[in-house]
Amino acid sequence: MSATLQPEAPVRYAAHQHAAYRTGPRLLRVAEVRALTTEVRHVVLVDPDGGHLAPYEPGAHVVLTTDPGGPGEKRNAYSLTDDGFNPRRYAISVLRREQGSAWVHGLAAGDLVEVEGPRSAFAPRHDQRHALLVAGGIGVTPVLSHARAIVRWGGSAEVLYSYRPGHAAHLDDLRALAEREDVTLHEATTVAATAALLADRLADQPLGTHAYACGPVPLLETYVDAARAAGWPEHRVHLERFTAPELDPGVPFTATLASTGERLAVPPGTSLLEALLATGRAVPNLCRQGVCGECEVPVRRGAVEHRDLVLSDAAKECGDRMLACVSRAARADDDIEVDL
Amino acid sequence: MTLAPAAPTAATDAPAFPVRGHTARLPWPFPDDLDAFRYSVNVEPARLVRRTAAGEWGATIVDLGGEEYGAIMAERRRILDADPHRVRIMPGMLPACWDLLLYYLRDLAASYPAIMRLDEDPRDPDRFRWRNAALGTDQTFVLGDATSLPWDPMTFLGREVPDDLLLVKERDGELCFDAGLVTFAAAWSVSFDVGMTMAEIHNPVPRLTREGITSRAEQFLRRLPVDQVYRRVNWTLSASGSRLLDVSLEELPAWAGDIPALVAAEDWGRLQLRIEVEHFIRLPMTGAVTFNIRTHMTSLEEIRQVPAWRDQLARVVLELPEDLAAYKGFLDYREPAMAWLTRR
Repeated sequence: MSATLQPEAPVRYAAHQHAAYRTGPRLLRVAEVRALTTEVRHVVLVDPDGGHLAPYEPGAHVVLTTDPGGPGEKRNAYSLTDDGFNPRRYAISVLRREQGSAWVHGLAAGDLVEVEGPRSAFAPRHDQRHALLVAGGIGVTPVLSHARAIVRWGGSAEVLYSYRPGHAAHLDDLRALAEREDVTLHEATTVAATAALLADRLADQPLGTHAYACGPVPLLETYVDAARAAGWPEHRVHLERFTAPELDPGVPFTATLASTGERLAVPPGTSLLEALLATGRAVPNLCRQGVCGECEVPVRRGAVEHRDLVLSDAAKECGDRMLACVSRAARADDDIEVDL
Repeated sequence: MTLAPAAPTAATDAPAFPVRGHTARLPWPFPDDLDAFRYSVNVEPARLVRRTAAGEWGATIVDLGGEEYGAIMAERRRILDADPHRVRIMPGMLPACWDLLLYYLRDLAASYPAIMRLDEDPRDPDRFRWRNAALGTDQTFVLGDATSLPWDPMTFLGREVPDDLLLVKERDGELCFDAGLVTFAAAWSVSFDVGMTMAEIHNPVPRLTREGITSRAEQFLRRLPVDQVYRRVNWTLSASGSRLLDVSLEELPAWAGDIPALVAAEDWGRLQLRIEVEHFIRLPMTGAVTFNIRTHMTSLEEIRQVPAWRDQLARVVLELPEDLAAYKGFLDYREPAMAWLTRR
């Protein structure tokens, strides 16, 4: 390829020519706000000009800027509840928990909200022959998205929904889906019943099933343990966490940048991500808790202590990548060479 | 290959030689200053216009091929009709094929508004009408409804565009080639390769896996963002001494004797430089990534007309280490062929 290069005259080309593929930060209009329970509100967003929205994979989320310009400005991720097929609306269901979600609860029809995404972090396996979908509390949102996509494309699913009576968002939607022959819904309203149901259903799935769970940490731990006890291979057991466990500040280490040879000191309590950002490098990141997978960086050399919840055991063992927000050198004062 | 954008083109230097349409559109695969080729993850943003010694290319994701479009598509459709095994879609990949179809039809309508049009039904956003005046296509369909098209969505698209269509998707942490429509393969077979991981497919290429290029290329595809489109150019000398695009393993008996006959006759002007432009797009509804390949051919006779190309190709081909020259298939005849090319 030949080129007359004139870097001083940059020409910007939009990557996608059609508006339906925009995923960058943009303003969407609130079309509808509806209370699903006393603590959960369903918010429907549309393009202000009535145009297309980008399709998305089941289980994807959007990132909302809450309280923009205000003291509580924050970027919060919320799972989309529809199937993602050629959408004209984005629907999220938000549990009131902290300042950001309280701000979302204050939205009314007509308000404009800055939205980025959708981003996919909890996608189904395309070749699954059957799905076991496990939802705990507000974790029902991505599970509903999966269930709706399975119904659209003619698959089959078993849904397990654990909730507190009177606080079950989207229970009506799941019950409506379960009127179909290819969708079964199991409900549990106590911890003990949930554990028993998990053990029972994980022990009785057809070959080729993939399992997915979203919910609070104790439910996910029970799910992972029950799957292991029932002999499930790790790569068929998928989960999405809301919150990550607390991490200790970690050991001091250095990071060498392969492109420049520059060495960065990473003291305890500082993450590799923070050290990289401090040098002005634009490393994509979002949750900074080892949950979302945004800040994965390629590793050339050095033993890594993986502290994230994203990489599979095999990927961790391979050692060719790490999540810069939480993972560190395996030993104090080691050097890790990253391919940046 | 540089990532800097090309300068906006201005009609300045008129070439000092007559250039036909085919040559003027050709995506010459080497940067001006390249004298030695090695495999690399040589990706750059799509739709950057590149000027070459004979013209320019690259403004669109799909290159219809100008006046050659009708002939290429006739050949594509003939092969698809004769050999249904050129399309392979693994279980669960149909949604990705719809994702691919809609993306490409929207992109084509934007790139070629004079001949291509995609209308959306205002009452039913899933209902579309596709018109392609160049091929006479007028098809209404419902997105996701297999009964609304005469073929599966990948085949429908493959009968409208010259590109070979390949979709990769992650399974158990590996990128797998899980759907493809390929009529113009360079000595490989879509029905043999479909379902393999990228590592399995590229194992035969010397140096690629050992030097970590496969894993870096995989990492690139795995991390391909939804808001960017990239492309890459690959090249070889074709296994056929003609414009024949279909040098697939399926057709091996038809072309295997071509190069030995050409070498015996020392008919070097018929040798073809085969250039493949690959486009990488993450399709948003399914997360599948395209590895679509548009193949271009130009003969040594044509290359000889463009002095900068003639000299550069000879340098690159002669410099190539033996293992790479053997893989690309021209180790045995590269010296006489390049001597012919550069003879004054």
